Amino acid sequence: MSSHWGEDDTELEAHSQDELERIEMNLLLEGIYCAYGFDFRNYLRSSLRRRIYYRMNLDKLPTITTLLNKVLHEPDYMDKIVNDFSIKVTEMFRDPSFFQTFRLEVVPFLKNYPEIRIWHAGCATGEEVYSMAILLKEEGLLDKTKLYATDMNEQIINTAKKGKFPLKRMQSFTKNYLQAGGAKEFSSYYTTDDEHALFHPSIKGNITFAQHNLATDRSFNEFHVILCRNVLIYFDSVLQSRVHDLFFDSLAPKGFLALGNMESLISAHKAQYEDFNPTERIFRKINR
Amino acid sequence: MLREMRLNIRSKIAIGYFLIICCLGVSIVVVTDRIASLQEEIETITSHDIEVHNLIATIRYNAISMESSQRGFIMTGDEAYLKPYIDGKAQWEANYNSLYQLISNNPSTQKELEEIKLTIRNWIATAGEPTILLRKQNKTPEIIKFYTEDNGKKSIDELREHFESLSNKQMEWTKMHILELDNRNKLLTVSLYVMLLIVTAVAFLIVSFVSGSIVKTIKQVVKTITEIASAGGDLTTRIEVKTKDEIKDLAEATNKLLTSLEMQNWIQTKLAEVATMNQGINDLNTLAQSFLMKIAPILNATHGLFYIRKGLGGKEQLVKIASYASYGDDAGRSSFRLGEGLIGQCALEKRTFLLNQLPGHDVMITSGLAQAAPQSILIVPIEFEGKVEAVVEFASLESFTSQHLKLLEQIEGHFGVAINNIAGRMEVERLLSEYQVLAEDLQAQTEELQTQSEELQMQQEEMRMTTEHLEEQNLYAEQKTKELEKAKKELEIYSEELKQSSQYKTNFLANMSHELRTPLNSILILSQLLSENENRTLSPEEEGYARVIHTSGNDLLTLIDDILDLSKVEAGKITLTVDEVNVTEIPVHMKLSFDPIAEKNGLSFYVFVESDVPDLLHTDGQRLQQILKNLLSNAFKFTDKGSVTLKIQNADPHKIKELLPSHDTGDVLAISVTDTGIGIPSNKQQLIFEAFQQVDGNTNRQYGGTGLGLSICHEFTRLLGGCIVLESRPNEGSTFTLYIPSMQNRGKELLATAHQEAAATASLSMPAESSSTGCSLFAGKKVLLVEDDARNVYAIVKALEQKAFVVKVANNGKQCLEILQEESDFDLVLMDIMMPVMDGYEAMRIIRQDPVMKETPVIALTAKAMKSDREKCLEAGASDYISKPLNMDQLFSLIRVWLTKQVGN
Repeated sequence: MSSHWGEDDTELEAHSQDELERIEMNLLLEGIYCAYGFDFRNYLRSSLRRRIYYRMNLDKLPTITTLLNKVLHEPDYMDKIVNDFSIKVTEMFRDPSFFQTFRLEVVPFLKNYPEIRIWHAGCATGEEVYSMAILLKEEGLLDKTKLYATDMNEQIINTAKKGKFPLKRMQSFTKNYLQAGGAKEFSSYYTTDDEHALFHPSIKGNITFAQHNLATDRSFNEFHVILCRNVLIYFDSVLQSRVHDLFFDSLAPKGFLALGNMESLISAHKAQYEDFNPTERIFRKINR
Repeated sequence: MLREMRLNIRSKIAIGYFLIICCLGVSIVVVTDRIASLQEEIETITSHDIEVHNLIATIRYNAISMESSQRGFIMTGDEAYLKPYIDGKAQWEANYNSLYQLISNNPSTQKELEEIKLTIRNWIATAGEPTILLRKQNKTPEIIKFYTEDNGKKSIDELREHFESLSNKQMEWTKMHILELDNRNKLLTVSLYVMLLIVTAVAFLIVSFVSGSIVKTIKQVVKTITEIASAGGDLTTRIEVKTKDEIKDLAEATNKLLTSLEMQNWIQTKLAEVATMNQGINDLNTLAQSFLMKIAPILNATHGLFYIRKGLGGKEQLVKIASYASYGDDAGRSSFRLGEGLIGQCALEKRTFLLNQLPGHDVMITSGLAQAAPQSILIVPIEFEGKVEAVVEFASLESFTSQHLKLLEQIEGHFGVAINNIAGRMEVERLLSEYQVLAEDLQAQTEELQTQSEELQMQQEEMRMTTEHLEEQNLYAEQKTKELEKAKKELEIYSEELKQSSQYKTNFLANMSHELRTPLNSILILSQLLSENENRTLSPEEEGYARVIHTSGNDLLTLIDDILDLSKVEAGKITLTVDEVNVTEIPVHMKLSFDPIAEKNGLSFYVFVESDVPDLLHTDGQRLQQILKNLLSNAFKFTDKGSVTLKIQNADPHKIKELLPSHDTGDVLAISVTDTGIGIPSNKQQLIFEAFQQVDGNTNRQYGGTGLGLSICHEFTRLLGGCIVLESRPNEGSTFTLYIPSMQNRGKELLATAHQEAAATASLSMPAESSSTGCSLFAGKKVLLVEDDARNVYAIVKALEQKAFVVKVANNGKQCLEILQEESDFDLVLMDIMMPVMDGYEAMRIIRQDPVMKETPVIALTAKAMKSDREKCLEAGASDYISKPLNMDQLFSLIRVWLTKQVGN
């Protein structure tokens, strides 16, 4: 009998622990939102939790509340948190088959437009948008294309603007480029210094980098293609649905939406898109 | 009465046949009768005639035998002869009577016979008796007398005649009778035919009536059935038959069949409706709700509840998930355990409960106006694979019919499948979404991990570097600390001094500018006033002095301005004012300024403007003029004889590329100033652009000037984004060519920006410079160059060795492999593709088979531009490719990428 009660106690304790953590997280996210305007409240909790604990581990903080304290009182610390929360995993021609498919199946449609607008939502350090620019250049479309690359992290946008990628990742980028059906020499697009490969200004010329927060900001143009790959996985369903609404509003009729290989349309929008290429998660807005 | 009587087909046919047989019988009876009577008559006629003739013959014989016997007696007198006479006399009257009676039906013959009788009597009386008597008396005379008279003979003749006529008469009578018989015979034949006709008619009538009555009903049935079939299965039509025979039975049976079909059809339709309703629903509650909404009206039910089995093991429960026409939440219990109540029992036993005539009024069926207790309640289990998945309850104001029950029974099975399907689908969807969430989370985690690992790696590298540095620094730290402290003190002093001197310089410049300008201004104004000589107090010579003072003062001012300009440029404090400059105005200005000087020095001054030069140029006009004036005054200064030429033209595109690599669009003017002066030796040509430098010290004395002019020109040109090129030969003259681009899109910009740009341009246009630091990466790296073209080998080896690579050369694939077998520690292989002996593809393929060389970067040098060739390279194992002719910078970038250790691999 007593052991039974004991079990309940630990269960109860674990429960309250979870509850406490939940409250602390809510406070942290609310605090960040109120103080800095970054809205992480609808980010996937499990992911955020790991990022928070990662930061707490690094800085040896005992509780989330102490982290909140630091965040609120040290504005510089917030930059760290934003950096922690924005996952910057990206590479040039990431998922080469996607770019291959894009080149073979989507580009023929784009060729008919007098002007093309492409939005890379959540561009991180910009590898993907540079890849797209190279692809479009090879297809002869870059001159009539405007590429918009946005991220909520200002710092990351500034990095992206430079078009400068570490040499130590260039080999894999080259491999990806080749696998994605690159038509020229990858080395003809960059020069190098000791640590970085610098992409030519002709690649950068048509890319506009800007800070834009998918969680709070609104549509800013109408696009023929929206790429948002492996961004939505960090959002909970509420935010995902908000972002999908935003994309739907921002897509031109018959526009393309490209998602990450683990992501899919939410049911509310399923009927408004046709599965253009389900394997590569390319969807096309149905013209209505 | 008759109509109501049942007349089946068998009796109809029997009656028909019976009637025909009757007719036949009647006719046979009639015919037989007629034939019999005919026969009788024929017999009558035959026997009567024979007897009559016999009797006639007998009578005749009697008469004749009497006469002959009388005669014999008379002649002989013998009494023996008399005997036939006596017999005849005795017999004939009997015969006569018989005959008379026999022919009583024929009066004419009777009359003849009577005549014959009279004649015979007469003969007997007159001839027979008297003669016989006479004979007996033997009175022969008398007898002779008698015969002479012979009365008897007359009677005999008469008799003979009578007999003759009697026979004839009798014959005629017979003939007549036969004729009559013939007629009768004919009549009989006719009547036989008539009979046949009648029977045929009767038979036909019967046949047509019977067959009609059968066929008509059959046709009616067939027609109805056809109608039903052709109407697409409208089973509401029924066969109507008025007769009461087997067809009616058939029709009734068919109607029964139709009714049952209709019911089945109804059930099937409803089933189909329910089944189609199930489509597109993927949620149990909706399914249950729509099921109730569908079924309840079909059953005339006014109330319905839907319970679904939930839970596992011992905790199974039936939970209400939908209701029909219920009000509020209290309609019906929300859940039952298995075996609890009728619902639970139903689920447990898989049994249907039908309760009629409910006594209680627990459940009320309510509308806006009325409330009523249900008449019957129906509880049905819905099974799937022998397991009750759900229980449905219906209440109705009427009784449930067997049709309803049958329908439910049918639906049950289908619906069980549907429930199971949907439950399965829901489960699959739930699992799918769970999987989706997990997959997304996994992806997120992967990315996070990747980030973390990258961060860790970065940190690790930083740490390692820091550690190395720290170790190194630790060694020198103590040493350095002392030195540093010493140096620090010195530096402090220096910096103090520097600060002071810079302050001095600034102050000096400011002061000088102010202090010098003020007196200079006075000198300039006053000397000008003097030279104008308005009062006419000065001699022409004095006027000339005054002009010289003015000119020299101006020179001095220019010099001061120059110094200030130069220091401003060096301090980065100059402002560019970019505007539209009218190019056509430049020669006018220059002519105006320098024609007098030319004239004075006895030189020719030519100005040429090419016709295709644009009218407008975006640049800082003031600075441009300053540059040109400097260049021209320099030219005039160093030219004793000959000419100075100013030439404005569009710059050669090749030159632009060479000199202004960062420049991409817009016009570039080439303005050249050519003189025929002393020229500049080539070893001094760089020098003269530096401040305070002239070709030599003597020049200074001979030609004067501070040597600031060209350096100012140089600095200004750089600011304007252009450059100056000098071509000169001593004693022949010099040409300064100013390349000046149009700064079209920039508008007004600050010097600072211009400065930065210039710096950026410099770094971009001179990659070799920046890459000089890259040597650290390249130094000592071993490169194997596989190439058969000697020119290429020479060029590449030279370039690589300049970057401190250790280069080895193989002339073909085979040689390459041989070299690699000896030493496999190359950092990079540059592989030509088209080579003799063994080509690059083959060589690469073999290289990649060697585990040691698997990861060594191999860069293919391909002369072909086709994508497929490149793909072939990659297939063969190349890490990357670069096409010929080689761009060295690109090659070095590529090598840098492939020599850099990668993260994450």
